[in-house]
Amino acid sequence: MSGVDFQQLVDRQYAPLYRFALSLAKSEADAADLTQQTFFLWASKGEQLRDSSKAKAWLFTTLYREFLNRHRHEVRFPKIELGDVHEEEMSISPNADTFDSATVLQALSEVEEPFRAPLTLFYLQQFTYHEIADVLDVPIGTVMSRLSRGKAQLRERLLSKEEVLGNKVIALQSDRREELHG
Amino acid sequence: MDSREAKFILNAYRAGGQDAADPRFAEALEQVRRDPILRRWFEGAVAFDAAITEKLCATPVPSDLRESILAGAKVSRAPSWKNRWRKWAIAAAVALSATLGVLIWHDARPAPVSGWQLQALDAILSSIARKESHFDLVSRNPADLVKWLRANDAPTGEKLPDSLDKLPSIACKTFFWHGKPVSLICFALPDGRAIHLVMTTASARSDLAIKHAAKAIQQSHWATATWREGDMVYMLALEGSRDELRRYLL
Repeated sequence: MSGVDFQQLVDRQYAPLYRFALSLAKSEADAADLTQQTFFLWASKGEQLRDSSKAKAWLFTTLYREFLNRHRHEVRFPKIELGDVHEEEMSISPNADTFDSATVLQALSEVEEPFRAPLTLFYLQQFTYHEIADVLDVPIGTVMSRLSRGKAQLRERLLSKEEVLGNKVIALQSDRREELHG
Repeated sequence: MDSREAKFILNAYRAGGQDAADPRFAEALEQVRRDPILRRWFEGAVAFDAAITEKLCATPVPSDLRESILAGAKVSRAPSWKNRWRKWAIAAAVALSATLGVLIWHDARPAPVSGWQLQALDAILSSIARKESHFDLVSRNPADLVKWLRANDAPTGEKLPDSLDKLPSIACKTFFWHGKPVSLICFALPDGRAIHLVMTTASARSDLAIKHAAKAIQQSHWATATWREGDMVYMLALEGSRDELRRYLL
């Protein structure tokens, strides 16, 4: 891959990679380092890939593995029985349009890690569920389970933020009313 | 397929419609067409997913990240380094062995890099070009690397040279030369190249002979400069000329 091709790859993928990293790492500095490290590894190893069409999957897979390696000793993944997943129905769905990017990202970062990675890859719309399974090295059924559970958790987190937002609005309105009448 | 199973599958269906042709979704989508309650759920789910995608893709990316990646990757690919460095390192090693195996620094003529300096250059090579080892820590913030080195009792000066302190860093690495710890920090230059700072304590006689004033030497395509401050010895190296290197010695 020439320098021009590499630059094109960076131009195409650095932003979604960074956003994926940000959802995992929760810190802008860590996300930037993870993204940079991934391209660094690509430059030193990834270019050996003969099939350039797999570059994108390689980058996301490598970033995810780098993240897991860094947090191997810091994070204990919760033991979750994914073989017996029941979809959590949400009768109320938050209005996602009312939130800004930062709030959505915050809610996403609060989703449990095993669900967060497939969910972010799904929402970045870079990959099919097949490809997500390849990137995360899990079966397709597990990806679907994690997407179902992850979306349920995300809705839950957004609903709780919607309630906080709603309470603030109510509080502000009542304060104003007191001011007007007081 | 009941509606519960259809929902389970459709949760993996991307709102942008890229998955419309996937046969795994066909039956579930057919179920959506037949079942008005399921259709309502699906429309809501697609709208929710589209909104989340829009918000997520609007998350700002650091403005300097692209340049930083390109600069760092250029160093790590270093196609021109790989062969030149190897040839040069081998030539340097041969030259060294020919000098009675003694590492001597002369004031009268440019001294070749040797000892821990050669080891440092090899560490750069092995981490970057030969891919035989990894950096210990990757960070764009030099302060992070210095902090990590200090926390791991690796040699670091009181402060980084002012000219380097303003550059984004790439990574750091530590190694031992004859039982003596040596630290290496790589920085990204604005033009995409890298500059490397090597630090160790002056213990050997050859180290103590190093002057306070930096001495720059040109060896093939590389320029290196070595100087001493108290009990610390520094070496700065870049692929370029001595004049270019001197800009970072101020």
